[in-house]
Formats: sequence, structure tokens, C-alpha cells
Amino acid sequence: MPALEQLLHSTALGDEQAFATLYDEAAPRVYGLCLRVLRDPAQAEEVAQEVLVEIWRNATRFDARRGSAGAWITTIAHRRAVDRVRSVQASGERERRTAYGEEAGYDAVAETAAVRLEHRQVRRCLQTLTELQRQAVTLAYYGGHTYRQVASLLGTAVPTVKSRIRDGLLKLRDCLEVAR
Amino acid sequence: MTADVHALIGPWAVDAVDDDERAMVERHLAECDSCAQEAAELREAVWRLSDATIADPPPRLRARVLHAASRTRQSAPVPEPEPERRPEPKRLRRHRGLPRLRLALAAGALAAVMAVVGGLVTWSVMRSQEPGATDADRIAAVLQAGDAEVGTVTAEGGGDVTVVRSEAMDQAVVVVSGLAAIGQDRSYQVWMVEPDGQVSAGVMDPGERSATMLVSGLGDAELVGVTEEPAGGSEVPTSPLVAGVSLQG
Repeated sequence: MPALEQLLHSTALGDEQAFATLYDEAAPRVYGLCLRVLRDPAQAEEVAQEVLVEIWRNATRFDARRGSAGAWITTIAHRRAVDRVRSVQASGERERRTAYGEEAGYDAVAETAAVRLEHRQVRRCLQTLTELQRQAVTLAYYGGHTYRQVASLLGTAVPTVKSRIRDGLLKLRDCLEVAR
Repeated sequence: MTADVHALIGPWAVDAVDDDERAMVERHLAECDSCAQEAAELREAVWRLSDATIADPPPRLRARVLHAASRTRQSAPVPEPEPERRPEPKRLRRHRGLPRLRLALAAGALAAVMAVVGGLVTWSVMRSQEPGATDADRIAAVLQAGDAEVGTVTAEGGGDVTVVRSEAMDQAVVVVSGLAAIGQDRSYQVWMVEPDGQVSAGVMDPGERSATMLVSGLGDAELVGVTEEPAGGSEVPTSPLVAGVSLQG
């Protein structure tokens, strides 16, 4: 997605018009991920706003040699969303709406025609993982859980979960690369 | 211990580690090229998981974000780590994504700069002197020019560098304010970076951290940058930029 890189570089030069276009390209991804992890539209909106302003502020620090713009943006969004989940958990307020089996919820996310293809590709690649790999990866990524929490949710040993997450991601990487 | 850290790269890539573990992994990645390579590849796979969660945000978010951005100052770029202690002085590196000058539409922006300048007119360097006017007059003329553009960056280690440039007058005011403390054996030096090299625009007094200067004859300079040098300055920069403002329009 070279367009995102270009928009980030222009944004880094203080180009507000480029940032507005970057917003249109990236906001559904940022907001959708926050919503998935936080499961609360009001909080997702709040965190998405923080993330997008951070992208404006730190666009000067994006380095295309170290990774894609998509990865850079999504990493900021996921980390912020996860930080929020953890701080809410720490203060004991998080409603446990769903516990184990949360990952099934991504079926409910509204799809638009434009994203359906990519969406299908990721889901197809997720199906290439073993059951335990897929559960470990999705509980961690979509659920915002630490690997220790994932181990306890799955009733699996901690070292096993660590390696299943890694193995699952390597398989996901291979599948997505082939599909590209 | 290394094995333990390495086993955390997968969980790290999906943010499933705590803050201490994250710091530990990132220190490890900084020292292990093959691990950093694997981590980068995992990150490229991980972010695609967000393909499955794309959702339209509430329409009001757009205006909020754009408004907040317009009031938020952008960060200074992180200077690249020096791979080796440079044996030879070398050209200043051009940074991608430097904040550049932007048209100072509101008189308020210039007023703010002038407030800073007021107490700080300590020295000036001019490539071509004009008789008559005082330095303060000349600086004020640039700040009040109809085509004045202003750019500010936060310097590494603290402080700000602000450049106000009038293209029509071919002059710029550079305000350096509150840079990181240095010893009496060091000076900050201001450079104009041109396509074929850099020209010293002035050397601040040893240990001095704030100053205002007027630069005339900008020519085709692309960048105003500041480095830390031995007291009295250098012929060519001997250290990376602590701040840079692009002059490219």
C-alpha cells in the first residue's frame, strides 16, 4: 500500500490536506481495531482519536525502511487499545461481557464490499493455523489478552502458549505472503 | 535468558506482553539483527489481522481529529543512531519528514515569536550588511513581512528552534531557545544546508543555549540546522543535527 507511505511522508511535512486523506484511508482500520479490542463504541472512539492525533504528531518518526505504513499505524492503534484494556482491567472496572470464546465475535463485525476480499484472505489464512494456534493468536490480538491470560483462558501451559502464538504468526505470515 | 527473551517475540508482536517484557524484547531486538528481522516480518503479518475488523467510525470523529491535529505540534524526527564514531566530519544528513516552514497566516504567530525574540537578541550574523538599521529593526522587518513563513521544531534534548523566513527579503530569523545544557568547551552552531554542502550561519557563545540571529542571502538553502560543536564552532558539522527546519516550500 504505497499510497499510505506517501500520505505519511506528506503528513510529516505538516501537510494537513494529506493528513485528511490519510484519515479517510486509515480511520476505519484504526477505529475498527479499537472497537474489536475494547468492545465499547465510546471508548473505541476516544482511543481512535488519540491514535490518529498521535499519527499526525509522530508521522515525522515513521521510517519506511523499518516496516510498512500499515504496520506502523496499526501497531500504534493496537498498543493504545490494549493499554486501555489493561488499565481498565487493573482498576477492576472492565465488564467481562464475554470471556473465553471472544474471538467468535469478529463474525459480527460489519463488512463493506471493499474490505470483504482482504477480510476473507485473513480469515482463510487463520484457518491454516491449528486450533490452539488460532485461539492463542486471536485471544491475544483481538481480545487484548497477555499470553499469561491466554494460557489461563485456554487451560494451557504458559510456555506452550508462547510458542503457539509465534508458530501461528509464522504460518499466518507465510499464508499472507503466498496470497499476495 | 536470551532463550526466554526470544520466546517472547511472538507474544510481543501481538502486544501480549507486559511493559517490562516489552522493554526487554525491544532491547533484545536492538542487539540481534536476525531477531529484529523476524520481529519485523511478524509485525507485517500481524497488522493484516486488522483487515477483519475494519469498521466505519462515527462521522463526527473526522472533524475532531483534524481539528485536534491542527492544534498539535509535530514531533522532531528521531535522529538516526550513529553507526560508528565518525572518523571524518561529514555532511549533515538530510532528514525525511522535517517540519517545514508554513505560511504564518495569523499575526498572532509572529507576535509569539517576537515575544521570545524580545529578550534574546544576543547576536546576529549577516552575509550582507545593510547600513542604517539596527539588528532589532532588521529582525522585526522579517517577522512582519507579508510573506513571512514560520516553522518550529523541538530539539533533541529539549528546547526549540524557530525559523521565520521572508522569501521576498531573502532573509530569515532563527530563534534558538533553551537547548540542552552543554559545557563551556562546547558551542551550538547554526548551519544552512544547501544542495552542495552546508554553510555556517553562526556560532553561539560557548555554553550558550539560547540566541536569535538574522540570516541574509538564503539563496537555495534547503534546511536550517543546529549542531553541537567544540567551542567556537567547526568548519563543517562534526555531529548529527539536534534540530532542523526545512526551508523547502
